[in-house]
Amino acid sequence: MTDATAVPAERHEATEQTTIVIEEIRKRYGDRDAVAGVSLQVRRGEFFGLLGPNGAGKTTLVEIMEGLREADSGKVTVLGQQPWPRNVALLPRMGVQTQSSAFFVRQTAREHLTTVAALFGAGHDAADSALADVGLTGQRDVMVENLSGGQRQRLAIASALVHGPELIFLDEPTAALDPQARRDLWEVLRGLKRQGRTIVYTTHHLDEAEALCDRVAILVDGRIAALDSPHNLVSSAGVPTRLMIPEGRLSPEDALAIEGVDSAELQGGSLVLETRVSGQVLTAVDKLAGLNDVQTRTATLEDVYLELTGSLAGTGQDGDNDTEQQA
Amino acid sequence: MSAYAALTGAGFRAQVRDKATLFFTFAFPLIFLVVFGLIFSGQDVKASGRPYISYIAPGVMSWGVANAAVFSVAFTLMQWRRDDLLRLIRMTPTRLPAVLGSRYVLALGVGVVQAVLFVGIALLPPFGLELKSSWPLALPVLVFGITAFLTIGVVIGSLADTPEAVAAIANCLMVPMAFLSGSFMPMDMLPDWLQTGSRILPLRYLNDAVSAALSGRGDMGDIVLGCGGLVVFTVIFGAVSLKTFRWSNRA
Ligand SMILES: Nc1ncnc2c1ncn2[C@@H]1O[C@H](COP(=O)(O)OP(=O)(O)O)[C@@H](O)[C@H]1O
Ligand SMILES: [Mg+2]
Repeated sequence: MTDATAVPAERHEATEQTTIVIEEIRKRYGDRDAVAGVSLQVRRGEFFGLLGPNGAGKTTLVEIMEGLREADSGKVTVLGQQPWPRNVALLPRMGVQTQSSAFFVRQTAREHLTTVAALFGAGHDAADSALADVGLTGQRDVMVENLSGGQRQRLAIASALVHGPELIFLDEPTAALDPQARRDLWEVLRGLKRQGRTIVYTTHHLDEAEALCDRVAILVDGRIAALDSPHNLVSSAGVPTRLMIPEGRLSPEDALAIEGVDSAELQGGSLVLETRVSGQVLTAVDKLAGLNDVQTRTATLEDVYLELTGSLAGTGQDGDNDTEQQA
Repeated sequence: MSAYAALTGAGFRAQVRDKATLFFTFAFPLIFLVVFGLIFSGQDVKASGRPYISYIAPGVMSWGVANAAVFSVAFTLMQWRRDDLLRLIRMTPTRLPAVLGSRYVLALGVGVVQAVLFVGIALLPPFGLELKSSWPLALPVLVFGITAFLTIGVVIGSLADTPEAVAAIANCLMVPMAFLSGSFMPMDMLPDWLQTGSRILPLRYLNDAVSAALSGRGDMGDIVLGCGGLVVFTVIFGAVSLKTFRWSNRA
């Protein structure tokens, strides 16, 4: 498992290349730690994912970075400044995605964005270029009330970038979207990254974190359970590879006899083998049963995540075990 | 474009595109004016010998203006908080006075249009309102009145989390107050103790001052007293609204 506290070796040169530095952040609600001592850094231009089950403390942590909430203790530095209390000098450099209902009523998409741009003191073209960035140019004259769910989500993101911020916070932007709208939004987000913006992104969709993020912090019960690139997280987790062999081609007993096979079970019409040495096992399976229709499934971030959230949920809190699992 | 101008523009568009609110702001009070005006056309109030319209026109106008001020700001505030628009504004460098200023100017604009419309209709022959020379004084009175009722609206908008709650609280407050302050029927028809007791109601002060200015029912002293009373209510509800204001429905 990757140890979060061991990650940033460059903590002391945290200036030019570091957009956010948080150290030992704690936030308590009643007798519950929503954030229980989190330290991390977000580098400039990075697409940084915060992953975790519902109630893990993602929103609380992000709102502390945004300056919407005050931490009980710890240090937050965003773009070299303190976000709390409301820091009017810092606000224009940050973009914060709100709920997809945070629109001025009875305005067109463009009128809404023009108003938001004016609140930031941004120029008049700002609204049109933000609409183009999120692919809503065709809907510019549609009333916000008549936009579809995906379009509303994109307009909410456009509201966060209309003033050209260096740093953008997106809290579960794809939560309520259908699969196609979700994919479309990924393209929008990749575009933002290409523009060199730093993005802090919370999600509980693991495929999304894997597809978009440079680094991911997995938050469980207010603590960082792991922090690394998706690739390193997956390869260091030691999660076994699964081989699926059509039922009847190989008996579980024969399979278990192959060296390197950790388990063999019949599931949904397949014999599923788990192994940490897939190459060796595949060779053996080839000899015994042939590789026709044999499927392999290698570990994904989801496996890492399930392992971490499953083993850690509830452990840090006194008898508090109501963490909901979402994948 | 300044934040203030942009917010005022967005608020103006939202207002004129909302048919239901336009109806309740402009047409609904007119219905009262027309119905009561026609029923009592040409009649005088016995206790004072004054034409009925000299009561009903200032009364309906005060109530209509106060009602619009309360409802518009209460709905807007509830909705901005519920939809996280307050949070969006909080995350921009816009200062609060620009936000408040734009809402204030919109409310004053609505109040002036209402006043002109209602008085204009009351002046028509079937109703026959006669304006006294002091009528321009009704304008500053309206400004004091709108200010006071806006602070009441802010309190309601801070307490209520749904449109239904806003409507319930505001109606419970504004409908009885209209009757007890003499908006729909002359105060002279109410028992003495109610005439005295209604001095705790802000609409009574607005009503008295507007009546004095428009139809001469009262003098300069009544206008000053009315404005003074409205300032007191503004201070009280302004202080309460500072206590009840919330940026977000989440704690
Ligand atoms: N304003 C609040 N008051 C009390 N508890 C809160 C508040 N906000 C969040 N919490 C609690 O803190 C924990 C973390 O919540 P949150 O940051 O919203 O998690 P996530 O965004 O990961 O779902 C949860 O147990 C939640 O119930
Ligand atoms: Mg959340």
